[in-house]
Amino acid sequence: MDDITIIWILLPFVVGFSIYLLPRWNRYFALAIAGLSVAYSIGLLWSLEPFTLELLDSFGVTLMFDELSGYFILMNGLVTGAVLLYCFDKQKSPFFYTQLVILHGAVNATFCCADLISLYVALECIGIAAFLLITYSRSDRSLWVGLRYLFISNTAMLFYLIGAVLVYQASYSFAFSGLAVAPKEAIALIFLGLLTKGGIFVSGLWLPLTHGESETPVSALLSGVVVKAGVFPLARCALLVPELDPIVRLFGVGTALLGVGYAVFEKDTKRMLAFHTVSQLGFVLAAPAVGGFYALTHGLVKGALFLTAGQLSSRNFKILREQSIPRAYWWVLVLACASISGLPFLAGYSSKILTMKNILPWQSFALNVAAVGTAISFAKFIFLPTKTDPSLKISPNFYGAVVLLLGGLFVTNSFYLEAYQPSNILKALVTIGIGWLAYGLIFQRITVKLPRVVEQFEHLVGVMSLVLTGLFWLVLA
Amino acid sequence: MSMSILEACVFAVIFIGFFGIIFKKNLIMKILAMDVMSTGVIAYYILVAARGGIFAPIVDAEQEAIAYADPVPQAVILTAIVIGFSIQALMLVGVMKLSRDNPTLETSEIEKSHTP
Repeated sequence: MDDITIIWILLPFVVGFSIYLLPRWNRYFALAIAGLSVAYSIGLLWSLEPFTLELLDSFGVTLMFDELSGYFILMNGLVTGAVLLYCFDKQKSPFFYTQLVILHGAVNATFCCADLISLYVALECIGIAAFLLITYSRSDRSLWVGLRYLFISNTAMLFYLIGAVLVYQASYSFAFSGLAVAPKEAIALIFLGLLTKGGIFVSGLWLPLTHGESETPVSALLSGVVVKAGVFPLARCALLVPELDPIVRLFGVGTALLGVGYAVFEKDTKRMLAFHTVSQLGFVLAAPAVGGFYALTHGLVKGALFLTAGQLSSRNFKILREQSIPRAYWWVLVLACASISGLPFLAGYSSKILTMKNILPWQSFALNVAAVGTAISFAKFIFLPTKTDPSLKISPNFYGAVVLLLGGLFVTNSFYLEAYQPSNILKALVTIGIGWLAYGLIFQRITVKLPRVVEQFEHLVGVMSLVLTGLFWLVLA
Repeated sequence: MSMSILEACVFAVIFIGFFGIIFKKNLIMKILAMDVMSTGVIAYYILVAARGGIFAPIVDAEQEAIAYADPVPQAVILTAIVIGFSIQALMLVGVMKLSRDNPTLETSEIEKSHTP
């Protein structure tokens, strides 16, 4: 298993650089890499024996594989595969596929790191590859969005580095478990880096513009997979260091409410989905032990939603209501939205129930409110009028990508069959019912535009200092 | 004593860089400020490595009990220096491309025209 693991980690980088020289075969090789990740993660989940790989004379440099990483790696493989299928006939240059495969490999690496320095390298690698994908079109707007992303992520990672050296000073090792004996300010600095990278709470307000303005396949990849690279280490730290668990859970609840609060008022499809990502990451962190399954179902849904939203004629809900949308797209939207709202028989339902079973009493009210908010914001998609459009040509690749993602939702539903109890089903239906009622009676008519001043670049950097102060007091308390 | 003064200077550099990112209006200046900040972080690693001594850590069998510097933080920060430098290069290329249509490179102006 050790050899297979090392080969699987290295292969994306080797293949990523070599497919640049094989323009005719690059798509197939890239797909093979995504398939390999899916196969590896299924093997990992099947064997269910956690194991670690330690660097010789290591200073804590460790790779750790368990159920949590298995779910995250499966999500990465499936979403990357779907994005590749979607791009199959889009005439993308070899450069695009190279970046995509390298990004895939770097994200895989974050999902098995258990030490601060491997994580730093993997996260910065993700930052560079994501920047190159965001700016792929070379338009001025994409350049600005990419620069802004790189700026925010790099500044946050500088704070993270200071934290990492403080941990080393305290325990002469870079392992996550060293956080238990590290000084308080080290924890605050490291968390600031991870919260910003993972788009959590107010540190995540850079995310809507970045994910909204990128092109369709890149948005799907960023929202489905890349932000989870910042969330996974937070969950891992919470599991390894019990003192950090309440802080991670608190940020989970905060970001779930903040994201949903923005999402219900949003009038733009892609921005709504991006704010919704901020909120769903909160559910992953609210119960770190079972966050893997939730992240998997969220990644599959978000990928499908972004790919479909990119096909629609407009990004404005109001215009979409006037024009109606083609029925084929509507079915995809309904299945994906039903899963994420928690309708039974799709994986979103079982993962929500599993998360709700594993939260503490003080979190339950806030997360139920967030669940209702989710139903409200996705009612916008579900209640769009439809039309049959005989002239519409939908490419088979789009169908391939969507079938892969939604099929994944049906299959992974079987991972937690204990969720199907009458009381749970009733609760899910009531939550969705309240959400849809609230949408029909109130939110459909509201025309509030929330101010976007907090998303300005200078404020995003300034907020880092506030979050750092807040974190410091939290850790001290 | 001198160690703590050094440490204060290093953190001052980090703060100057951080405030530069916020208060400088020009995009190039912002990138330079970020570089100042990362220089501060690198210096802090060197400082931590020198806590136990400043001798290059090459073991000499003749001499016992020399205060060697810790090689690990130095090795780690090398990686970070390379990453930081490549990100700087990438960003400056991006700025060059942006400057065709925004010759002043004022962030607020660029932001205004690219926020939908």
